[in-house]
Amino acid sequence: MDNEYIHVFINGQKFKAKEGELVIDIARRNGIFIPTLCYEESLKPYGACRMCIVEIKNKGVKKKITTSCTLQAFDGLYVKTDSNEVLKHRRILLELYLAQAPNPEKIKELAQRYGVKKTRFKEKYKEKDPLNNSCILCGLCVRVCNEIMGAGVIGFIGRGEKTRINTPFFEKSDLCLGCKACAEVCPTGAIKFIDEGNFRIANSWSNTSVELKKCKMCGKYFAPSKLDEKIDSIYYYRDKNNELRDLCPDCRRKVITKRINLITENEVEKYAK
Amino acid sequence: MNKEQIEDIIRKYDNHEGRILGILEDIQEIYKYLPKESLEFVSEKLDIPLSKLYSIATFYSFFNLKPVGEHIITVCMGTACHVRGAKDILNNLMELLKIDVNETTEDGKFFLTTEDKHFSLNTARCFGCCSMAPVIRVDDKIYGYVTIKELPKILKTYGWKSK
Repeated sequence: MDNEYIHVFINGQKFKAKEGELVIDIARRNGIFIPTLCYEESLKPYGACRMCIVEIKNKGVKKKITTSCTLQAFDGLYVKTDSNEVLKHRRILLELYLAQAPNPEKIKELAQRYGVKKTRFKEKYKEKDPLNNSCILCGLCVRVCNEIMGAGVIGFIGRGEKTRINTPFFEKSDLCLGCKACAEVCPTGAIKFIDEGNFRIANSWSNTSVELKKCKMCGKYFAPSKLDEKIDSIYYYRDKNNELRDLCPDCRRKVITKRINLITENEVEKYAK
Repeated sequence: MNKEQIEDIIRKYDNHEGRILGILEDIQEIYKYLPKESLEFVSEKLDIPLSKLYSIATFYSFFNLKPVGEHIITVCMGTACHVRGAKDILNNLMELLKIDVNETTEDGKFFLTTEDKHFSLNTARCFGCCSMAPVIRVDDKIYGYVTIKELPKILKTYGWKSK
């Protein structure tokens, strides 16, 4: 059984791991902090933000710096997560991030953690930026939209310093499900959605709007109807006649509680006879 | 847009990821630019998100997303040409062709077309003939040692009229 496992050394400590596991996963499982901005367990390794860089050293191999979120573990791997060189690179990266997007909490927090007070680079500021000058182009939203939701609403546009993320042709997209997955994963909170009446509007994605479903009990709009259809198409065995489907989470709770109450009342009468 | 033409192009390529660039290139050869409908059609046909095609089309400076003029003028802005006054040539060309400088494109590309769709103007980094700097290219012909005074003459050979 022991052959299934390999051993990895992180900051001098020996850890058990499976071959091919990502180094960042091993580190996090064992409570070692590695900062990340673009890492998401459910997505394929990408390595865009470079915050998770570590130093690796092996016998006969020259010391090198690489991203731990794309590094697959092998037996006898030596990793240092906070060597002086790694810290030096990380500080430069944070200065660059501060120039690109100075406001997001997460960037401020990381900058403080690594003692970066100000940036030496020219701050990038665009007027009327749909992403509130908070986008760091990590690509998480694009990946989530493609890999998990399978919608592919947004993509990178242009290249170099002019790269942006938006819908094709900067037009309203009719593919958007309104699932808010992009806003959920965004490390800097740049993506904004607003629920207005029976529409969910994505200000960041060229004002793409998605219709919301109305709760049959309280009349509150609670979820995008397109998303509901999508779930139906995936889980074709989902009970179409289930009354809970058309209720908002609050009303669902009420109905379920009532059901439980009814059963107990009946039972009480039954046993009272 | 001719759907059959695009279907023929798609059929020409094998079923693998790298074909997108080839397909887009072939479409551009026909129309000289990538019409929006053609991108939508390719996206539907190949089951590739439109956002991905748009990313590719905006990433490569080779692709145009707006209708282009009959003649394409490219001004080299490489180091050697820049030193020898490429910027002056570009500004003068814009004035001669009466192209509005402030017309910025949303996709971040520098590609300007005259109102009568006769000329298009864009810039490139280097043509690899720095010894002839400054260089401009009209369609496939390259002009070296260009001076501002020569510009009207070059433009006239392509049907430019001074008003």
